[in-house]
Amino acid sequence: MAEMSDTVAGRSRAAARDRLDAAGASAAGLDVRRALQLGLAAIWLLDGVLQFQSFMFTKAFGQMIGATSSGSPVIVSHAINWNAALVEHHLVLLNAIFATVQLLLGLGIAYRPTVRLALAASIVWALGVWWFGEGLGGVLSGAADPVNGAPGAVIIYALLAVLLWPSDRPSGAPAPFVAARAVGAQVARALWLVLWGSLAYFALTPANRAPQALHDMIAGMASGEPGWLAALDKHSAALVAHQGLAASIVLAVALAIVAVGAYLPAPVAKATLVLAIVLAAVIWVVGEGFGTILTGGGTDPNSGPLLALLALTYWPLAAAGTPRADRSVADERPEGITA
Amino acid sequence: MSIPVWILDIFAAVMLLVAAVSAGQLVVARAWTRAGARDADIALSHLLMGVAMAGTLVASLSTLPNAAWIVIFAVMTAWFAWYLWRETRGQGAGALVSGHHAPHLLHSAAMLYMFAALAGPASGGGAGMAGMATGASGGMQTLHAPTLALVFALLLIAYSVRDVDRKACADGYFHVVGRHVTPAGPALATAAAGVTGQGGPAGLAGGGDSAVATMVQPEAAEVPSGDLVTGPVNASPPERLLLSPAVVKGCRVAMGVTMAFMLLIMI
Repeated sequence: MAEMSDTVAGRSRAAARDRLDAAGASAAGLDVRRALQLGLAAIWLLDGVLQFQSFMFTKAFGQMIGATSSGSPVIVSHAINWNAALVEHHLVLLNAIFATVQLLLGLGIAYRPTVRLALAASIVWALGVWWFGEGLGGVLSGAADPVNGAPGAVIIYALLAVLLWPSDRPSGAPAPFVAARAVGAQVARALWLVLWGSLAYFALTPANRAPQALHDMIAGMASGEPGWLAALDKHSAALVAHQGLAASIVLAVALAIVAVGAYLPAPVAKATLVLAIVLAAVIWVVGEGFGTILTGGGTDPNSGPLLALLALTYWPLAAAGTPRADRSVADERPEGITA
Repeated sequence: MSIPVWILDIFAAVMLLVAAVSAGQLVVARAWTRAGARDADIALSHLLMGVAMAGTLVASLSTLPNAAWIVIFAVMTAWFAWYLWRETRGQGAGALVSGHHAPHLLHSAAMLYMFAALAGPASGGGAGMAGMATGASGGMQTLHAPTLALVFALLLIAYSVRDVDRKACADGYFHVVGRHVTPAGPALATAAAGVTGQGGPAGLAGGGDSAVATMVQPEAAEVPSGDLVTGPVNASPPERLLLSPAVVKGCRVAMGVTMAFMLLIMI
């Protein structure tokens, strides 16, 4: 009798577990924007963990920050030098704080009740790092290179936080893509055009179109990488040896096509978005060496994954793109907070 | 200079806390009983991983030799792989990503890789990795095949983010074990359905993070047949806390993030 009771209980438990799993999965069902927010959270989390690497607790980290001031306007270089000196004097404490903040930003975005707070904080943090830590990504110094992180990976974090902000414009019209939900389609397209258009421009700057510029940049990435990636870098570098101008033109054209893609009809826009993701992947692997994570010296995953994530926020939505149909749990305004 | 010792100490303390919580769950859920055994493997894996990682982070906390950990995590990986394979038969290939045992398989495999791929200066030594920052040359220990470390780290971070996002009840274990009292017989099914079916998992999700996972244990029935008991009857507040989905989720997130941290700093 007891055995039978156990058997019944066991079956009931199994059934209960299955129903629970199903309920849980349903309750946690994701909409597109929430999924993209989680992508951003994961990158922040990775960023935070990378900041804990031993390299970041050496003076080289402060020197790396200081090096970004080269060629920048005085107002930028002063800020960077001040920050670099501060970091070098309080290396352990400040780097631990930096890493913890980034870790919390990732967890905060992933945790639904704090998503707004974390996204807002991430914008402030990203703008601060862009100015004080990355020298505005070399945009004003002529050192910006789209193949190696321009216009600064961290500013793309801020852009993504804005575009993935969990609210909808009250127009009532269906949003054509996720990025349009918070800021509107026109603003979102303009931001896309500015970002990718600037990348196209940077590809053609004198420093980047020099005959050996691209070759030297890619070849330089091989140092410290695992064998397969170093070999890939060397072969890629050999392909563009003395072809700097041609490679820059091809790259600039591709980036320009991507830039205007957001204004094109959905089928064409999708093709340009695929091109954007492919470019992001090539940039991340060949140009950025996975953010040099595999060398133990990468402070962040660099711009490749962020550009790909950004492209996904512009992917044309079907009927589910309407604000109501695509609303996530995270979009519900927390109690006590008013607009 | 390597990572400050106090940072490694903090991570090690968190892992010991996870191990202690997992041990507590095993005891509170009476995991050695038939009713409680269902998810004991998961709690046991967390207990072992917590101890192993703490020993990896801080030399003085090392317990077993690397070879022993390799065997343990190889068995654990095979165990969860087998369970996940069974899940795929019932739920399709999607279970490989979202199956109940998927994250535990990932954690076990990552631990197996970590101990098997150790190439650091202390790898020839006795117990464990002998602490990350105290290798023979004073440098950090490193891993063979670092690309695999990156892959594991990315997956661990992805699962951690997913765990944080999901409701605490969604995948907590110890759903159905422990010391709650429910009527036996026909009423049992009613109780289970009432808790997990209509109106959502009222006894579980409805309580949010603080809810105690519902536990059905017919042999402990202390109420007349037909009386529906859905709340925690015998569980004391500490027991509720230990078995709460939020604690389960917190342990898994802490473990995933710490594991990713360890893999990346040993690249």
